[in-house]
Amino acid sequence: MKLAGLKSKENAHEESIWAAAWVPATESRPALLLTGSLDETVRLWRSDELDLQGTNTGHCLGVVSVAAHPSGVIAASASLDSFVRVFDVDTNATISSLEAPPSEVWQMQFDPKGTILAVAGGGSLSVKLWDTATWKLVATLSVPRPEGSNKPADRSGSSKFVLSVAWSPDGKRLACGSMDGTISIFDVARAKFLHHLEGHFMPVRSLAYSPIDSRVLFTASDDTHIHIYDAEGKSMIGAMSGHASWVLSLDVSPDGAAVASGSSDRTVRLWDLNMRAAVQTMSNHTDQVWGVAFRPPGGTGVRAGRLASVSDDKSISLYDYS
Amino acid sequence: MVQREYFKQGKVDQFRQILEEGSSPEIDEYYADVKYERIAILNALGAYYSYLGKVETKQREKDDHFILATQYYNKASRIDMHEPSTWIGKGQLLLAKGDLDQASAAFKIVLDDNRDDNRDNVPALLGQACVLFNRGRYSDSLELYKRALQVHPHCPASVRFGIGLCRYKMGQFEKARQAFKRVLQIQKVLRLLWHWESWICKQMKAADETWKGMEKMQKAFEIYPYCAMALNYLANHFFFTGQHFLVEQLTETALAVSSHGLMKSHSYYNLARSYHSKGDYEKAGMYYMASVKECNKPHDFVLPYFGLGQVQLKWGDFKSSLSNFEKVLEVYPENCETLKVIGHIYVQLSQTEKALEVLRKATKIDPRDAQAFLELGELLIQSDAGAALDAFRTARGLLKKNGGEVPIELLNNIGVIHFERGEFELAEQTFREALGDGVWLSFLDGKVHSPPVDSDASSRQYNDLQFFRRLEEEGIAVDLPWDKVTTLFNHARLLEQLHDTEKASILYKLILFKFPDYIDAYLRLAAIAKARNNTQLSIELIGDALKVNNRCPNALSTLGTLELKSDDWLKAKDTFRAAREATDGKDSYATLALGNWNYYAALRSEKRGPKLEATHLEKAKELYTKVLVQHPSNFYAANGAAVVLAEKGQFDVSKDIFTQVQEAASGNIFVQMPDVWINLAHVYFAQGHFALAYQNCLRKFYYNTDTQVLLYLARTHYEAEQWQDCKKTLLRAIHLAPSNYTLRFDAGVAMQKFSMFTLQKTKKTADEVRLTVAELKNAVRVFSQLSTASSLHYHGFDEKKIETHVGYCKHLLDAAKVHHEAAEREEQQNRQRLELARQVSLAEEARRKAEEQRKLQLEKRKQEDLLKQVRQQEEDFKRIKEQWRSTEPASKRKERLQMEDEDGRGEKRRRKGGKRRKRDKKSRYEMDETEGDMMDDHGEMEDDDAYMNNQDGANQINDQEDDRADNNAHVLAAAGLEDSDAEDDAGAPSSNINRRRRAWSESDDDEPSGRQLEASPTRENSAEFPGSDGEA
Repeated sequence: MKLAGLKSKENAHEESIWAAAWVPATESRPALLLTGSLDETVRLWRSDELDLQGTNTGHCLGVVSVAAHPSGVIAASASLDSFVRVFDVDTNATISSLEAPPSEVWQMQFDPKGTILAVAGGGSLSVKLWDTATWKLVATLSVPRPEGSNKPADRSGSSKFVLSVAWSPDGKRLACGSMDGTISIFDVARAKFLHHLEGHFMPVRSLAYSPIDSRVLFTASDDTHIHIYDAEGKSMIGAMSGHASWVLSLDVSPDGAAVASGSSDRTVRLWDLNMRAAVQTMSNHTDQVWGVAFRPPGGTGVRAGRLASVSDDKSISLYDYS
Repeated sequence: MVQREYFKQGKVDQFRQILEEGSSPEIDEYYADVKYERIAILNALGAYYSYLGKVETKQREKDDHFILATQYYNKASRIDMHEPSTWIGKGQLLLAKGDLDQASAAFKIVLDDNRDDNRDNVPALLGQACVLFNRGRYSDSLELYKRALQVHPHCPASVRFGIGLCRYKMGQFEKARQAFKRVLQIQKVLRLLWHWESWICKQMKAADETWKGMEKMQKAFEIYPYCAMALNYLANHFFFTGQHFLVEQLTETALAVSSHGLMKSHSYYNLARSYHSKGDYEKAGMYYMASVKECNKPHDFVLPYFGLGQVQLKWGDFKSSLSNFEKVLEVYPENCETLKVIGHIYVQLSQTEKALEVLRKATKIDPRDAQAFLELGELLIQSDAGAALDAFRTARGLLKKNGGEVPIELLNNIGVIHFERGEFELAEQTFREALGDGVWLSFLDGKVHSPPVDSDASSRQYNDLQFFRRLEEEGIAVDLPWDKVTTLFNHARLLEQLHDTEKASILYKLILFKFPDYIDAYLRLAAIAKARNNTQLSIELIGDALKVNNRCPNALSTLGTLELKSDDWLKAKDTFRAAREATDGKDSYATLALGNWNYYAALRSEKRGPKLEATHLEKAKELYTKVLVQHPSNFYAANGAAVVLAEKGQFDVSKDIFTQVQEAASGNIFVQMPDVWINLAHVYFAQGHFALAYQNCLRKFYYNTDTQVLLYLARTHYEAEQWQDCKKTLLRAIHLAPSNYTLRFDAGVAMQKFSMFTLQKTKKTADEVRLTVAELKNAVRVFSQLSTASSLHYHGFDEKKIETHVGYCKHLLDAAKVHHEAAEREEQQNRQRLELARQVSLAEEARRKAEEQRKLQLEKRKQEDLLKQVRQQEEDFKRIKEQWRSTEPASKRKERLQMEDEDGRGEKRRRKGGKRRKRDKKSRYEMDETEGDMMDDHGEMEDDDAYMNNQDGANQINDQEDDRADNNAHVLAAAGLEDSDAEDDAGAPSSNINRRRRAWSESDDDEPSGRQLEASPTRENSAEFPGSDGEA
């Protein structure tokens, strides 16, 4: 289990890069890396050379999140102005423009089957679900306030402000992380809130289910820790510490044996889940690492594992994961 | 021959009586012809008295005995001049008296007498050998002994003994030993000899003390064997074999029989030593003292001084002890032991310089003395960690080389120094080595993980307990030897420093599992919880710590900060006071905390009485000064004092202080004071110098994660009219703190400002205008989102609050309408401008310019008439800008304070303070930590001022907007009231007012922006032209 640096693309964007996602391979082309930046553009990169495939414009303010449909045909990007733009990956044709005022848009993710796009709704304290066929809002999963809480929603954000979403690999559950550190688990089919997972008390900016176990959820928080939860059993299985500052992003390797994380401490770390410890620390970025993403398996002749990381330093790094 | 039998049987008195009878004048006459017997009787008497004289310790009686003996011998020689035994007796007598020359002459007479076989007369040979020995002619003496042995192979053991001594004197130790062995074989009873043999063996090893041994041997030989010296030696021997009872017996006898000062001194010394080793320091000290008294010159016998010094050291009488050791040092200036002890005493007397000097000398003299290096290292820790580390390492190397166990304390110290020097890997290695094998290894290597935490776990403590119990059940021994606790704690601290908090927590918990009273472990766990924003757990842990010791100042201080964080002001104040009392005011942290408390209080009070503010500030300053008096080098107190000064407008003084603190702090790797950088930047800023110091600060200290500093940066850009940079910075800040809507508002403001600025430019391209329009649209969208988002945020509050908001929202709509119109109109204006820009050809440029001119005039007019500038938002911004530019921020600040957003500001400051504190808690070593927190708070205060500038500017727009709407005046008042109610209800006031007001003015704006674009251009014109007309 290790990472080996393959390629680093300096000045991949004109400004800080805030989001990254892999577009799965289609029959006609291999997987592409999708990045979003403060410079208001979304760019597509060919692996492993990191050649620029295309630049999509049309966003105002910074692009905070990008997501790709499991089919690899369409993708979505979202910006601080709270629009979600859904587009065709290969032609860059806009398929739809989504907004659900007054909800902002933070992290997005397509469900594993590709029928629903889940969008973290920020201050609306909810996750919006969009049907990918009709592009209509089909459900709003609201995070209930904990009983007896009379905490005011204040500016510094100790609220349930929803930042991040993640689908379980079986598509039945949806988890979302909030500013105050609580994680909410929803039953998607019944559009019902199930329970909170507690343990973080600072913003949870990224979370991901294990691809091999629908119960296991990994969360990254500003408290510098990565937690491992049994999302069904409501218990915390363990915690991993080692980052010196906020953990901004996290992704689980396709084999489910490792987790990669990016942090404000400018490093990318690889965590061995058996040892529950960081086995490798990459410090090639010179500023906060906002996104890490493992390339999904599949595609013709591509078996090697790839991890991409993007940072405030405007660069993209690509690693071989083996 | 009866008398000889008596003598042999020890009946000395009878022996003497018979002899005396035999030598009486009557017998002389009666047996005048029996010469030989008479001589024998006289000689026996002479020998008897000379023996008495030899044994006698009192000088006078000794002399008497010798005189008697001389008389008898003289009498005998009168009977027969040539009787050899008489001469021998005389020689012995003279020898005993120390008259070597005459003794030698007497023996010579015997040996030179050629009658009979006197040449080989054994006693005479021995006597002569003895004389020669005493004269130092050892080889001659040896010859004579040898001759005696040849003549009489079965002679008494004393002959061989003499040979042994001669050999010894001549340095032939091995042969001497053999000789003594032979003696032993002959006279096994004589333990003394055996002891001498072992003594010699010792001498062979410790050659440096040979002279002492010689001297003693010589003396012992002279008075052999019933003298005090012999007894002393025996005692000495028994001391080494550990038979203390015998030692005491022997030395007491020796004391009784000896009057010689040095001898007595030795005896006392032996006695003292015996008690010393038994731990009876009182008696030991007494006898050492006696021994010292007997021998006034340390040069003669130095050991009792050493012993006395040791005992006095034990008693804590450092001064006397020091003087004794110094006497020892006079005799042996290079004695390492003594140097070390003296060094130690200097340390105790806190004369560090001298101690260092002495210990350095000791290590130089004996570079293989691990103990000395250890002491040196410990001494250096305070002053020079690097040198201390070197010393410790040398000590460790020496101990290892000698195959000895390296003490855990030493390794611990090395580890800590590495830790403090930031050499974390070395520190970790060392700690691991120190800890050795144990249950902790499985934690450290990640073989055993912390227990899963159930969401509804019954109790934290119970959970931890269960975890360790389970481990025990699984057959893992959960042991923690007491001497490893400190090292384990340090290791955990190291892990914390390396951000491996999880493992650190387990180690702390392990410590607590075994030692539930280890208060520091509670404190660290609390600090970890605090750093992770888990206030409740942290308070719980502090509670546990306080259960152990409810006056622990550290725990109290931490509790105070926690209470401050959870907004419990009065409680916090009490806690800080308690902490201060617990340390009798010596702990500067609690005092500093109180100072900060006062500082916050000065700025938070909602009713803002200038008097109250002044009192609080004064009090804060007083407290800071108090700390500074106690610890003139306390950065935090200095920083605090400077902040207060800045608050009072004395920027130059505060700038000086900040600069000094900054310089001092950057020289110290342990103290990180980003706040002082920020404060300095603030002061520069307040004085009108745009400093980009913020940026450095951000990167240097906060991993770019501090939105507050980003905000300062944005403001600097704003002042410098770098709108795009300002916007980007704000967007970054939003990205970091998504739920901070103020940032969005600021971003909106920046965009608007940018648009206005672009439109005001005399020359602008179509692209610029287009960009401006887009930017304005963004701004409108941002504002509209804000309004909805803020109204959204009021849902879910308690009923009373919702009720309040129902009424409030109505007003909100009204107010927002106005704002909406403004934005819309502006939108349209811009749109028209865009159209124009597109249409206008080069020929039409003049016209465009004229229009531009008109527009500018319009704005000027608006500026003059603020109340009527209802629809000109640009104008508002311009005004703000002017305000911001003001170089007199203090007064400005005060003005602003009059405004309604004060409470929001106070609140914010408080909250921010808490946040920063927690971040710091994590990274600092305990001692610094507490003070570090303090500091941050100061920074915070200043920060917020700058921040507020931005805020205020933004608010002002709204205020004006509010004012201008007729129906808004009372609404505002109502809102203000409602807000204060809400605060009371919610328990945390928060900055609702700002947001609410904003929402108020903008709630209408959340229509899709497309609609605004469609708004008719005519309306825009109508709005603009009247304006220009008016101007004209």
